[in-house]
Amino acid sequence: MPQATATNVAAPWGFKRILGQLLWAAVAVVAAFCLAGIALNREEHINSVWLVLASGCTYALGYRFYARFIGTRVMALDNRRATPAERLKNGHDFEPTNKWILFGHHFAAIAGPGPLVGPVLAAQFGYLPGTLWIIIGAVVGGAVQDFVILFASMRRDGKSLGQMAREEIGKLGGFVALLTVLMIMIILLAVVALVVVNALAGSPWGTFTIAATMPIALFMGWYLRYWRPGRVLECSAIGFLLVVAAIFAGQWVAESSTWAPVFTLSTVALAFCITIYGFLASALPVWLLLSPRDYLSTFVKLGVIFLLALGIIFVRPELQLPAFTRFTDGTGPIFAGKIFPFCFITIACGAISGFHSLISSGTTPKMIAKEQHACPVGYGSMLLESFVAVMAMIAACVMQPGVYFAVNSPAGIVGATPAAAVATISSWGFPVGVAEMQQLAQSVGERTLFYRTGGAPSLALGMAHIFARSGGGQAVIGFWYHFAIMFEALFILTIIDAGTRVGRFMVQDLLGHVHSSLGRTSWMPGVIATSSAVVLAWGYFLYQGVRDPLGGINSLWPLFGIANQLLAAIALCVATTILIKMHRARYVWITGVPLAWLVTITFTAAWEKIFSPAPRIGFLAQAAQLEAALSSGAITGAGMAQTRTLIFNARLDAVICGVFLVLVAVILVDSMRIWGGILRGSRESRVAEAPFVLSRLQAEKI
Amino acid sequence: MKCLQAVGAVILSLLRELADENAYRRHLVMYGRIHSAEEWRRFSDERSKAKYSRVKCC
Repeated sequence: MPQATATNVAAPWGFKRILGQLLWAAVAVVAAFCLAGIALNREEHINSVWLVLASGCTYALGYRFYARFIGTRVMALDNRRATPAERLKNGHDFEPTNKWILFGHHFAAIAGPGPLVGPVLAAQFGYLPGTLWIIIGAVVGGAVQDFVILFASMRRDGKSLGQMAREEIGKLGGFVALLTVLMIMIILLAVVALVVVNALAGSPWGTFTIAATMPIALFMGWYLRYWRPGRVLECSAIGFLLVVAAIFAGQWVAESSTWAPVFTLSTVALAFCITIYGFLASALPVWLLLSPRDYLSTFVKLGVIFLLALGIIFVRPELQLPAFTRFTDGTGPIFAGKIFPFCFITIACGAISGFHSLISSGTTPKMIAKEQHACPVGYGSMLLESFVAVMAMIAACVMQPGVYFAVNSPAGIVGATPAAAVATISSWGFPVGVAEMQQLAQSVGERTLFYRTGGAPSLALGMAHIFARSGGGQAVIGFWYHFAIMFEALFILTIIDAGTRVGRFMVQDLLGHVHSSLGRTSWMPGVIATSSAVVLAWGYFLYQGVRDPLGGINSLWPLFGIANQLLAAIALCVATTILIKMHRARYVWITGVPLAWLVTITFTAAWEKIFSPAPRIGFLAQAAQLEAALSSGAITGAGMAQTRTLIFNARLDAVICGVFLVLVAVILVDSMRIWGGILRGSRESRVAEAPFVLSRLQAEKI
Repeated sequence: MKCLQAVGAVILSLLRELADENAYRRHLVMYGRIHSAEEWRRFSDERSKAKYSRVKCC
C-alpha cells in the first residue's frame, strides 16, 4: 500500500517534468530555427513573424533557465528574508507591491525613446545585426545588469547606484558615477530634443499637435489640483481625448492658409522653443505642467506599445530592408562607422542600457514584496523592453529601403535637392523616386519627407503603415502618422522637462558644497541660475545638432550611445564587485563577460570618434578638415564664422568623448584594484547588505 | 472568466499605481486621514518632489 502511494505521487510529477522538458526543448528548437532563419536568409523578404518568434522564444529560454540560474545559484534569492518594502514600509516609497503591478511599473519607468529610435537608426546596416544584438544583448547583458543591480539595491535598502558605487568601490567611484550621470543627462536631453526637432521641422500638423499638448497639460494640472483632486485616471482619459482631438485639429491647421505658416517652424526656431520649454518646465511648479504630462505620456506610451504589438501580430508585415546593407563598411548616410562597434552603441536601450541601472536602484527595489520577485521585475521587464526594440526594428524595416534612406539621410550626404537625393540613394541600389516620396508625404499630411533625420519620422511611418493595415487603410494613414509622432514627442518632452529638473538638482547638489544657498531647492535665484545652466548646456548641444550639415545625429547619437554604455559599464563594475564580495567569484563571468564586451565596444567607438582619420567619424579629423578648408580660402563670408563654430563643436565633442573614457577607465581600474585585493586575500571582503530579518509577509495576499 | 477578471484587476491596479491613486489610498490609510482637496495637494506635492528628483530613463 505505501508502495502504491509512492507510485501515485511520483508518476504525475515525473510526467509533468517530462512534459515540461519536452515543452522547453520545443521552445529551444523554435528559437534556434527562427534565429537561423533570420540569420541565413538572403534571397527573399522575410516575414516579421520570424523576428517575433525568434525573440519571444529566446527570451522565454533566457528567463526560464539563465535568470533562474542567476537567481538561485548566484544571488541565492531568499523569500524568507524581509525586503526593504516590508521592513521599512511607510506607505510612500517603501510598499510591498504585487509583482505583476511592479513589473508594469518598472517597465513603464525603463521604457523611453531609446529602444524605439536606436533600432531605427541601426537599421541602416540591415535588419540582422541590430536584431541579433537586441535579442542576445538583452538576454545575456541588459537583463542581467538590471536584475543584479535591482537585487543589490534591494539588499541595501534601496540605495542608488552612486551610493552603492561609493560603498562598494570607494569615494572616487561614487563621485565618478555622479559626474558621469550628469554629463550623460546633458547629452541625452540634447539628442532626444534633436529627435523631436527633426520630427516637427516644417510640419504644421505635428507642431500644432505637440503645441496643443501644453495647454492640455496645464488644464489637466488645474483639473487635478482644484477641480477633481486625486482623479488621475479620469483626468488622463480626458487629456488623452483632448490630444486625439488636437491631432484631428492639426490636420485642419496644416490645410489652413492662415495657420499653417504660423506652425511651420525651422529646426533652429523649434530648438529655441524646446529650450525655453525645458527651462519653464524645470522652474514651474511640478503639478502645473510636468506631473499631468507625465501621467498622460506614461499611459499613451504603454497603450501604443501594446497596440503596436497587436498590429504586428495581426498584420505580420514583410521586412523590405535586406539582412545586411552595403553600409556595414562604415559609409552609412545616417551615421558613419562600421558595424563593429557602432551597431552596438547605436542600440543601447533594448539591448543594454546604463540608464536602467539608475531605475533598478531607484523606486523599484523599495516596492519588491519578496526577493524572488526581482527576477520577473528586473530580468523580465528588460526582456519586454528588448521586445519593444525588436518591434521598432520591424517598423523601420517594413518601409522600402529607398524610402527609409530618403527619410533618414541628411542633405549634406545625399544632396540638397530631392532630385539629387533620390539619384544618390538609387545609386546605392535602393531605388526611390521624387514622385513616390511626394505621394507618401501627401498621404501622411506632410510637405516633404526628405531629410527627416533622427529616426522619429521613419518610425512613425512604419507604425502608421502597420496601424493603417490593421484597420482603416490609406484613408487614415495621416492620422496614424501624426498619432505616432505625438506619442514619440509627448514622452520625449516628458524626459526633457523631468531631466532638466533632475539635472538642476544635481548641479544644486554639487554647488551646495560651494555656497549653501545654491544648494537650496526653494531659493528662487538659485533655481533660476541652475535651471538656466542645465538648459544652456543641453541647449548648446541641441543647437550644435540642428546646425550640423551632417544632420546632428551623426555626432550626437554615437556620443549618447557611448555615454549610456559607459554608464552600463560602471553599473557592471559595481555588480561584479558585489558578486566577488559575496564569495561568488566563480560566477563572476555573469557580469564580467557583458562588462568586457561593453568596455571593448565603448572604448573602440570612443577612440574612433576621437581619432579616426575619416572626417565623418573622427571629431578631430573633422575639425582638421574644416580648418584646412578655412585656411585654403575655400570658405568665405558668413560661412567662415559658421565653420569656426563647427570646428569648435567637433573639438568639444572630442573632449567630451575623452572625458567619458577617462571617467570610466578610472572606475574600472579602481574596481579591478578591489577585485584583485579581495581575490588575493589582502583586502577585506565585506558586503554592505542590510541584516537578515525574517519575513512575515504572505506574498499571495499582496 | 475568472482568469480574465484577474488579468483585468491586475491591469486596473497597475493603472492606479502608475496614476499614484493607489499610493494616495495607502497614504490616507497610513495616516488615518480622509480624502480632501487639501490632503491630495499635500500628498501630491510630497510625491512629486521625490518622483522628479530622480532621473527618467531614456
